[in-house]
Amino acid sequence: MGAARQRRRQTRAAYLLLAPGLTLFVVFRVYPLLEGLRLSFTNARLGRATAAFVGLDNYARLLADTRFHVSLVNTAFYAVASTVPILLLPLLLALALNRGALRTLLRSVFFFPFTLSVVTVGLAWLWLLDPVVGPFNYYLRALGVPTRSWLADPQTAMWAIIATTVWWVTGYYLVVYLAGLQDIPRELYEAAALDGAGGARSFVAITLPLLRPVLLFVVVTHVIGSFQLFGQVFVLTGGGPGDATRTVVQHLFETAFQNFFQFGLASAMAWVLFAVILVFSLVQFRLLRGHTEY
Amino acid sequence: MRQPSHTAVSRRHLLAGAALAGAASALPAPRRAAAQSKAITYWNGLTGADGKVMDELLDRFTRETGVKVEQQRLPWADLYAKLQVSVPAGEGPDLALIHTVEVPHFASDGILEPIDDAALAAAGMRGEDYLPATWQGGVYEGKRYSLPLDVPQHILYLNAKVMKDAGLVAADGRPRVPGSRDELVSMAKRIAKGDTYGFAIGTVGPGRYTWGFHNLLWQNGANIFAKDLKRAGVTEPAALEVAEFWGALEAQHKIAPPANANCRDAFTAGRLGMWIAGSWNFTGLREAKVDFTVAPVPRLFKQPVVWAMPHQYSFPKPKAADRARREAAWAHVRWMTDHVAEWTLKAGQVSASRKSHTDPRITGDPVLKTLLAQAPNWQVGQSTPRWVAAENVTRPVIESVYTGQRAARAGMEELARQINALPD
Repeated sequence: MGAARQRRRQTRAAYLLLAPGLTLFVVFRVYPLLEGLRLSFTNARLGRATAAFVGLDNYARLLADTRFHVSLVNTAFYAVASTVPILLLPLLLALALNRGALRTLLRSVFFFPFTLSVVTVGLAWLWLLDPVVGPFNYYLRALGVPTRSWLADPQTAMWAIIATTVWWVTGYYLVVYLAGLQDIPRELYEAAALDGAGGARSFVAITLPLLRPVLLFVVVTHVIGSFQLFGQVFVLTGGGPGDATRTVVQHLFETAFQNFFQFGLASAMAWVLFAVILVFSLVQFRLLRGHTEY
Repeated sequence: MRQPSHTAVSRRHLLAGAALAGAASALPAPRRAAAQSKAITYWNGLTGADGKVMDELLDRFTRETGVKVEQQRLPWADLYAKLQVSVPAGEGPDLALIHTVEVPHFASDGILEPIDDAALAAAGMRGEDYLPATWQGGVYEGKRYSLPLDVPQHILYLNAKVMKDAGLVAADGRPRVPGSRDELVSMAKRIAKGDTYGFAIGTVGPGRYTWGFHNLLWQNGANIFAKDLKRAGVTEPAALEVAEFWGALEAQHKIAPPANANCRDAFTAGRLGMWIAGSWNFTGLREAKVDFTVAPVPRLFKQPVVWAMPHQYSFPKPKAADRARREAAWAHVRWMTDHVAEWTLKAGQVSASRKSHTDPRITGDPVLKTLLAQAPNWQVGQSTPRWVAAENVTRPVIESVYTGQRAARAGMEELARQINALPD
């Protein structure tokens, strides 16, 4: 009886402690999410008092909206194409910086870009890659290398955005990898060395398997972030040239805030994006889940 | 903040109050407003050098009238989104500066308060004091919603050094001015070498510079919407001709910088010879000590139309009417109208009101004089709530034509499809 009362009291206390966080979560996360879902079934426009229920019309419009399809393809391309450098480059740097005299300094140097806002990064790269007065093309010309307008050429614009993003976020993932590497017990490497395993063998047999949770974290967070790509595109290309770098969030933003403030249609886009991210995340969890211990 | 006192009102206080009220009612409207409301909120998008000039003028206005202006300045696109959100929530400003083409959709969405004839008369504002295109721009479906301040517009900038290096100088030593489309292209070809370009239209990102594309459409008698303002007009032959020219600038003629170039930087750095761009650039070019001259926008198609986009003062709908704040906002509009010559001289924007047009300081400035001389050729966007949304979908399509991703006809057909699909 006393134990049950004690448990009830503990449960009450737990809920009481959770209440502020839960309240904020419901007000700022759950409610907007559900409100967005409701709006996606209306013809709501920002600034207009009334909105009529239109059923699945907005979703049907998305099926016919070729620019939305282009933006989905572009976003998926970005997510896939940027994942490889985002996975590999910070990992290589982390392996190099895991030991060594200058590691603290170099970690700070690599991490520095991540402390900048996306607008700062975008504007800096916009200037660096300016086709006429930008230093990048200036030095290429000086070296006799043919130049091009990296951000205005449909063949290179998305790659330029990927390069900018890799430069920006490498430091962050580097720190994540370093934390993972330093969690791996040194004795395992010593034992492997005694058994005659070389560096490559140790990497494949020890480092990679034990980094699996970190790899999963990097891939999942990066892919989710990729599907929400907006800032770099907004600043660097505005979705151009033409629609070559238009992403879903860029399209959504323009629909909601520029093209007639169509909140109903934009909310439908947001929910389609949510579904896509959910599917990708579940697939990734399933693929990378095996033998992962948390 | 000082708390209101709750002491009893004596007869002496009452008499003194009545005397003050009587004296206040004898003051001219702006002074009276200043006495009633000590602060207004004012939103604008003057994020360039003109913003600093506005700051100076606002300080003077506050010193002279006692009305404090709480200013919010943000990029135009953000300003418009913010107005659309905040005004229905009752959080809009007392006064907002907007572009003429924004008037129809804000008016139709109930964001702006109509301005009636009585209010105009009380403020001493008369249509005949303004240039017609600017005055008319504040009217939507027969009602006035805004009052013009100034007229940002296009002008042709000529980089003296680049033109001279290409041998394109007239007998008087000044840069030659192209008189036709063919002449412009042939002159630009003489300039274009390596990373130096002959011609561009637009400040940043010439490929997607809708205002330049509009200017050329209007010169050819075409427009974004057909005359009924319902269907797109961009597949008409005159519009297709403009789109062909647009698509040939970089890809075929090889005279224009890449679609995303910063033309202002290129012109300043001596990498661009002839540049059609906004009048707001010339004060910056002077500060950067660029050796340049200007000329009216050349007639590249059938008529010498010049794109213009007057800034308009508007009164967003408040949550509850506040006469004192509205009068203080009017006081500012009146004050700026009275001091518009200084705005023109320092910010480089020709005033919409005729008051300053004979000011010798303005007529003596070669750039301002050229801008004023273009007045008969000014044209503004079509008066439809769908104009701004159409402009947004135009941007990527004309860029795809500029970069050669789409042929001109395919681009205009796609643009028409997108414009026709815009909601009413």
